[in-house]
Amino acid sequence: MADEKKALYDAMVAYKVPAIQQAVENARKSGMTASKIIDALGEGMTEVGILFERGKLFLPHVLSAAQGMKSAMEVLGPELLASGDVSAKRASVVMGTVEGDVHDIGKSICSTMLQCAGFDVHDLGRDVPKTSFISEIKGGCTMCGMSALMTTTMTVQKEVIEILKSEGLRDKVIVMVGGAPVTQAYADKIGADIYGESASETTNKAKTISS
Amino acid sequence: MAVPHFMASGMGGIRTAGDLVARMEYSKNMKIGKAKEYVAKKLGISTLEIGDEYIMRGLREELKIGVVTGVPGAPRGIAAKMNIEKLLDIKINSCDIFREMTKR
Amino acid sequence: MAEFYTRMGDGSRVLMTREKILNDIQAGMADAVDMGGLPDLTPNDIEKLFEIISDKNRVVGVEPGNEVVLTYDIGQLDFTGDNGNSGNGVDVGRMESALLHERALGADTFELAHADYSIKPVKPVISNEMQTMEEIQNEIVAPYFYGAMPNAGLYYSPDGPYGNPADLMREFKIDEAMQAAEMTADHLARDIEYVATRLIAAGSDGFNFDTTASAGDADAVGTFKGVRALRKACPDTYINVGMAGESIMGIHGSIEFDGEIVAGTYPHQQVKFAQKAGANVFGPVVNTNTSKSLAWNLGRAVTFIKECVKVAEIPCHVNMGMGVGGIPMCETAPIDAVTRCNKAMVEIAKVDGV
Repeated sequence: MADEKKALYDAMVAYKVPAIQQAVENARKSGMTASKIIDALGEGMTEVGILFERGKLFLPHVLSAAQGMKSAMEVLGPELLASGDVSAKRASVVMGTVEGDVHDIGKSICSTMLQCAGFDVHDLGRDVPKTSFISEIKGGCTMCGMSALMTTTMTVQKEVIEILKSEGLRDKVIVMVGGAPVTQAYADKIGADIYGESASETTNKAKTISS
Repeated sequence: MAVPHFMASGMGGIRTAGDLVARMEYSKNMKIGKAKEYVAKKLGISTLEIGDEYIMRGLREELKIGVVTGVPGAPRGIAAKMNIEKLLDIKINSCDIFREMTKR
Repeated sequence: MAEFYTRMGDGSRVLMTREKILNDIQAGMADAVDMGGLPDLTPNDIEKLFEIISDKNRVVGVEPGNEVVLTYDIGQLDFTGDNGNSGNGVDVGRMESALLHERALGADTFELAHADYSIKPVKPVISNEMQTMEEIQNEIVAPYFYGAMPNAGLYYSPDGPYGNPADLMREFKIDEAMQAAEMTADHLARDIEYVATRLIAAGSDGFNFDTTASAGDADAVGTFKGVRALRKACPDTYINVGMAGESIMGIHGSIEFDGEIVAGTYPHQQVKFAQKAGANVFGPVVNTNTSKSLAWNLGRAVTFIKECVKVAEIPCHVNMGMGVGGIPMCETAPIDAVTRCNKAMVEIAKVDGV
């Protein structure tokens, strides 16, 4: 079984969809359970994130690995349900660059990493009105990620948190903030729950806090 | 952030010979040491002196290559740059265009 | 045990012992060594870095004779801009700003810039920019560039004609995303040639490409291609290529310049692309981590930049602004931190300019 586990991990790190599918098929034939296969793939995905962070893999590679994971889940999902061994899907996250700010590359990478980690991501894009974040939270998102690249727009993150408080929603949502001018001290000052120096740090913190 | 940078490590632009050293870096890809040596040789002073305000203030006025204080009659702009071209043995784009425009 | 006042990467003050400062310098260095595959700093470098960081004076500076060229980016926007770009909110004209930088702020070079500071939006106002360039060239003595960001982001949806790779990839349309990035690189290169050749025809000493690769690897390739075309069209013009970050983001992942993948490269590798393209001066960047100390950030930044300068055949002017080059990520970067970073970059990394 250790061989199959390693093959799944290696296939994920090599990020080619057909090879991931083949490794999943081989693991199933050897009698590995769906949840164990998913765990092995998840470990591979974590390594993909680390390699991305270190500039050894790039966005298309991460997405290709994620596509392999998605394809594996299409096969393994029903099996998992049938066995009753279902681990809870991660939270729904609303993501966006705050209003007045059109810089969305960092936020998009963060959305991608969260999606790869199994979160249900609602990426609203950039220049997102404050009310749109609130609507998504009212609609069921339990996490809210806001990005800002400018010192002139980072203040909007605080304004959204204030609206959440005034509408009695603050305790129902985990707020994440990021972007070049944002710091841990600023995140603490405005009462955010998570500050991420990078997309992968944000994702790791989100995984920890939501597990 | 301009002032801390200038004070900590900047050559000083036209207060000294910073603009001249910059021109050699950009026109001939010279690294800082070579660019300073080239400029110093052309000015007939040492590489330490090309960053010295006291020495360069008088020298710039004498060579008519632009001075940092407002001196009526001292060449500025294109006129100063034409003198820099001769001093450093380089061509400066705006001077070339000026010559082309004034050609009869 | 003696403690020294120093800074964190967000600008806040912190007291650290000699041992802690040295540990952080070494940890920062180790991170750069690991990320970039670089050599360690020498024990002398580390000791000198400690001396610079722990200096009791508020302002430090290089020894006389060690001064380097000081180039400025962002043009007049450092006066006229808002706090988003560390501007002072003082609405001076572009002529006044140029002459103030030359005559009052010790600039060795300066530049003309457009309020948006991106290449694409210069196209509709190119004649205005050319006239202003002609006017200021008549007055200024120091080398005077035109400066703008390549900013390939403006070519992607919703600002431009090509699909947004980030959106396409989330839908697993990876090939489409890569094609969009390739088309953007070519479009950007054409725009660079269009804008830059006109400004040089108006008398500009050259062109400063600021924050190259801000939109990833296609942004970098488009810029390098544009620089090559510009060099061919204007063989004697001054070209400065400054980067956006320490590593080129792989949004495309495999797009190449001259047969080499640019994604994931660090300053000592990026400078070779800039050289090949035809740049005269390269502006490397190392990002600041706001959660780490100045010692950690500077140890890391100096390690990256020292190697870049060592392998470069052209001069290197290190980027030293808010959140880069070891400087804290802080709108009003503390003067003690700025001058320490400056001295370290000049006297340890041996940069040719700032």
